[in-house]
Amino acid sequence: MPSVTIDGRKYEFEGHPRLLQFCLDHGIEVPHFCYHPSMSVPANCRQCLVDIGAPVRSRATGELERTEDGEPVIRYFPKLQTSCSHTLADGQVVHTSRSSDKVARAQQDNLELMLINHPLDCPICDQAGMCPLQIQAYKYGPEGSRFEFRKTHKPKKVKLGPHVVLDAERCINCTRCTRFTDEISRSHQLTIIDRGVKNYPLTPPGLVFDDPYSMNVIDLCPVGALTSADFRFQARIWEMSSTPSIITASAKGSNCYYWVRDNLILRVTPRPNPEVNDFWLPDEDRLAYRCFNEDRPGGPEIREDGARQGATWEAACARAAELLSAAGLRSVFLASALATVEDNYLLMALARMTGGTVAGYLPHIAPGHGDGWLRTDERAPNGEGCRRLGLGPADVDALNEQIAKGEYDVLYVLEDDPVAAGLSELGAVSVILHYHNTTNRTLSLADVALPAATAAETIGTFVNVDGRAQRVVPAKAIRGAHRTLMMHMGLSRADRHGTPFDRWHNESHLINCKPSWELLPAVAGAMGHRMDYPGPRQIMDEVSSTVPAFGGATHKAMGLAGVKLPEV
Amino acid sequence: MADFIKNPVVALPDRDPAPHFSEEELIFTAEEKVRIARWVAQYPTPDGAVMWTLWLAQEKFGFLPPEVLRLVAAELGIPYAQVYGVATFYTQYFKEKKGRYVLDVCTCFSCQFTGGYDVLHYLEKKLGVHAGETTPDGCFTIQEVECLGACGSAPMLQVSNGPYVYCLTPAKIDALLDALKAGRMPGFTSVTLPQDEDEMGGNRRTDADASISYSTMPIAEQTR
Ligand code: SF4
Ligand code: FES
Ligand code: FES
Repeated sequence: MPSVTIDGRKYEFEGHPRLLQFCLDHGIEVPHFCYHPSMSVPANCRQCLVDIGAPVRSRATGELERTEDGEPVIRYFPKLQTSCSHTLADGQVVHTSRSSDKVARAQQDNLELMLINHPLDCPICDQAGMCPLQIQAYKYGPEGSRFEFRKTHKPKKVKLGPHVVLDAERCINCTRCTRFTDEISRSHQLTIIDRGVKNYPLTPPGLVFDDPYSMNVIDLCPVGALTSADFRFQARIWEMSSTPSIITASAKGSNCYYWVRDNLILRVTPRPNPEVNDFWLPDEDRLAYRCFNEDRPGGPEIREDGARQGATWEAACARAAELLSAAGLRSVFLASALATVEDNYLLMALARMTGGTVAGYLPHIAPGHGDGWLRTDERAPNGEGCRRLGLGPADVDALNEQIAKGEYDVLYVLEDDPVAAGLSELGAVSVILHYHNTTNRTLSLADVALPAATAAETIGTFVNVDGRAQRVVPAKAIRGAHRTLMMHMGLSRADRHGTPFDRWHNESHLINCKPSWELLPAVAGAMGHRMDYPGPRQIMDEVSSTVPAFGGATHKAMGLAGVKLPEV
Repeated sequence: MADFIKNPVVALPDRDPAPHFSEEELIFTAEEKVRIARWVAQYPTPDGAVMWTLWLAQEKFGFLPPEVLRLVAAELGIPYAQVYGVATFYTQYFKEKKGRYVLDVCTCFSCQFTGGYDVLHYLEKKLGVHAGETTPDGCFTIQEVECLGACGSAPMLQVSNGPYVYCLTPAKIDALLDALKAGRMPGFTSVTLPQDEDEMGGNRRTDADASISYSTMPIAEQTR
């Protein structure tokens, strides 16, 4: 197998790897800015320089030339090479800055040049703390600058489009952003204009950067030149925790991080997963986080004397149990494409216990919305999960008719909004509602209103349109949290929760809600039925072993990347 | 006086300018389309022909406002943003309406050392406008440009993307402006290198209107 020696250590390789990517894959740090694994390699930042030598072959015989002690003679390239654009060949010898002063010096000088016109406004820059330029300047850069003249001033806070703001002074002209619009999203909306010290990326006159994937350039930008209009100046990076999870605003289940400070989600960024979303997220997915923070319920309520009034969780579950027991077979359950597989599974179990009917789930389809890439017609995360549980889309017209005819006494709704979906004839039934937001239009009709934890607060499984089961873990805490949730929070939150005496959080950001996998067993329990699961993990163990369409989908197997479910 | 070194401010271009040309004016004739197609055929991808086509458009429309760039992009079937990027890269492509004569004063390294800024400031003072601006009578536009590849005869300027004027002195600039005002473009002046004078009996070029001898370059005011 061909091999290469990097900093004195031999590595074998297959195929034709690029040197920089090879180093990164093997944990060798090489500073770089313009290189991105999914885009073309322009080698324009010149930060990834290395010294490369190749074995010398005799012109006459084609044999390797050897020194007296039998080692191949190595001839170095006359100048340092950019590792990002160098394709490895057998026997080459590479020195990174770890073993070559020449390389270290070149990288240092390159950073000095790059910083000449950089405003060095890290204290007010959103990127500070996760800025490749900042990190690498600290690590590989010079102590100071020898540049004593006025810096070039370029346009600042230019709104390129609805979601992206440019600070041209910070730009290092790596062209990642323009390559993204040229090669990945193909909207061709950005270009580098002008040249020399005057250049920076811009849309041509009359064009707005309204690419539905525009915000990806914010993550791509290795400096703070491109920032989010939505998140700008909201928080410093180190004040937030980032929890690996998935997007629940579409059926693609793109992988993401939820960034949380004080139990509010402040931004959403992509989490690379080659099987789902690669490195990207649509803008709409990033901006759909408000529903986790805003219009959240204040606690459980039950209807007394015609008006909804606050109640304890026990009282609310007891009332739900009472209504269900009284209704017996005359109850109808609505599953939900917005709720997890676990929660839907328990809802089906509850329906079996009471003898009620499950009417399927409410479809969330916006025809024509999808783009064949990361945006989907289905605007809910778990339609596929429902279908695999054997649930179909609910026939709203038929249900309206049945309810109007008085066939049911109780409508049990799992985390959805039937009124918004067109279920208008609810006067005759008692409504038990698990809901996320107070904007839920069914809420005003609910007899028992049970605030449910959202995807950002619960643990559970969603199945995307391509049949991939993926897990969410809590990104933010809820009031009086369940032990299982706390365990996962502990694992998922980088910043933990300060000590009880040193809390930076606002109690009112802790929502008084419970995950449905805790509520449904509580209701069942109040009816005298047993639904014993310590948590969603055990529910999913059962689902994956009893429902063939979920074969292999245990929490453990899903991990952070999810598992592809069997074809159905 | 405009001087990028002293006041290095890059302005944001007008991002939504009103068009200068009407829909009816914005066309390439059949004959022009044939020429463009011939250029396109010379390259593996149509964007290779962007510079030729921009040049043709500039000769036709006088300058390259956004609507002309869009026309070029549409004709070549390449992104408008890409055409805009190319057009802004070169100072030789005029993004706004310019004066009858465009004086491209080189202030890059060799010229700067030998008085490029002296030339620029002299012109600015004399014409009463700053670099990047056009005289009110529409006669002259001054531009500050990067190296035009005539460093050996610095300081120099180029007139309207055409002839170079070398080894500039105030007297030479005065004469140039007078000639231009009278409608006389400078001819192609060849600079004879010392070895040519000795060995080849004069100028290597036969197509030059005039030739001058190489002389030691001056030193810029600001360096002195
Ligand atoms: S704005 Fe950022 S991504 Fe775009 S060229 Fe500049 S540094 Fe690179
Ligand atoms: S990463 Fe290699 S030159 Fe930019
Ligand atoms: S520096 Fe002026 S022509 Fe080269």
